[in-house]
Amino acid sequence: MDITLIMQMVLAAAAGTLIYTIIGIAPGTDETAVLAPVTLVLVLTGLEPIVILTFFIASIIAKKLTDSIPVAVAGVPGGVMAAPMVEHALVLKQYGKSDLSIRKMASGSVIGTIVAVPLSLLLANALIPFSDVIQNYTNQILFGGAILLALMSRNRWIALASIVPFAILIQGLRHLYWGLGVVPEGTNVFVSFFLGITIGPVILILFELLNKDKRKSMQRYGLKSIVLNKDAKHKGLPNPFKILTKQELSISTLASFFGSILFILSPVGITILLGELVSSRVKDPIKKSSLAISSMDALTNASYIAGTLIPLIALGIPLSPVAIGPANALFNAPPVFTLEHNMHHILSNTDFIWAATIGAVVAIGITYFVIVKYAQQICTFVFRWVPHEAMLGLFFGLVLLLAFMDGGLVNIGGVLLIGLVAGFMHRLGINYGVQFMVLYAAPWIVSQLANLS
Amino acid sequence: MEEKNQPIQEENIEVWADLVNIKDLVLALIITSVFTLGAYFIAPNEPPKPLYFGLIGSIVGFIISSILIKPKRKFETVENGDI
Repeated sequence: MDITLIMQMVLAAAAGTLIYTIIGIAPGTDETAVLAPVTLVLVLTGLEPIVILTFFIASIIAKKLTDSIPVAVAGVPGGVMAAPMVEHALVLKQYGKSDLSIRKMASGSVIGTIVAVPLSLLLANALIPFSDVIQNYTNQILFGGAILLALMSRNRWIALASIVPFAILIQGLRHLYWGLGVVPEGTNVFVSFFLGITIGPVILILFELLNKDKRKSMQRYGLKSIVLNKDAKHKGLPNPFKILTKQELSISTLASFFGSILFILSPVGITILLGELVSSRVKDPIKKSSLAISSMDALTNASYIAGTLIPLIALGIPLSPVAIGPANALFNAPPVFTLEHNMHHILSNTDFIWAATIGAVVAIGITYFVIVKYAQQICTFVFRWVPHEAMLGLFFGLVLLLAFMDGGLVNIGGVLLIGLVAGFMHRLGINYGVQFMVLYAAPWIVSQLANLS
Repeated sequence: MEEKNQPIQEENIEVWADLVNIKDLVLALIITSVFTLGAYFIAPNEPPKPLYFGLIGSIVGFIISSILIKPKRKFETVENGDI
């Protein structure tokens, strides 16, 4: 490990932290939509894998630290994962305790990170002996993963029913591109399909806007009201171990522990479950909500870190909702990474430890202190100056770019088609996890179907 | 909830958990797409330069649309402790 590489890693971590501190706060930013494209682009530029991993770890920690902040300040979730916290954060806001809830959430995140980084490294090493067996059954496992995620989702039957048709759509387009010669035969278009699924819900709405009747019947709103509390100033350096009570500390630690072990389950699902478990046991509303948000934030952070690191170190196959979503580019970003040649194969155990540690320390070092002290100011800045239209435009631009790079003009149409179908499936209640798993398993599913007949 | 005589203020729609104005959204989509793809095509044809150019183009588009478009949010400040 030479000093220039470490400097690059620190710089990458600092860049990731700054970018995702701001993006984390912007409302409505889905984790996959904001993390996956940027990581993909970085991988494709051919930066050192260890630098990219450091960037990614710092980014998820910063993003997870900040995306619950607008919940506390304005009751607007900064991301999908922060949505389960809204209910509890609003209780604290009603009692005028926004600043308390920010400090509790950010401290919970720090606990989650401190628990998850070493625990993931340990768990991953415990899994390594089994990795050969698991890798031999990659296709079956990905297909099983799609079924498992479908069964665990709230709308399980429709999710299950969607697997085969969606796989056929994906393979159908790939075979079309091979037939037309826009993509060499055997090369699976992946990156742009992935992004098409991610912004599917937006594509669907854009198409609906083209329908006059639909457009007229859409619910109209004035301006979104953002209610800010007058902020109390804090002096001195914040310390998560002092901000959290003993009970909050122990429940957060326990939640992080389970969040790491259960890395294969949906983080949002276990967060909601945890929230309900905690809420049913404590009576006082303020204490209940503080406990709920601190432990939820600890858990989401932990499950994000574990969900990235464990499959990456132990298996090299994206076997968790996080790995298949936001962290996807670390596993599969052809031509740089494929399932047979990705960070799992390139980086050593010490590399993983360095990347995780530098990423975590830099992200917490910057974001935790800044957020606890300046949460209100940062939120106001982002809410006042970053229009939602520009965020949507940015994602749309990136999708167009990567679609064109993957398969030319034809693929822009193909990605719009995938987005249209994926967005509709999303509206029917089929979550991203299932759709991403199908994207991975599609070649195997379709060839098995063909063999059967 | 039919308020046909409402003045034109109520014209924003909800997309992905926040409010947008349709015209502004179209403007933002056009600006970013043109800058992203434009930068990609003027880049020298040696990978990964087109990708870098496209990326920078998308960020320029993002900044320009942030300047041109006003967020559809309004702010109220309350004293701590208000319920």
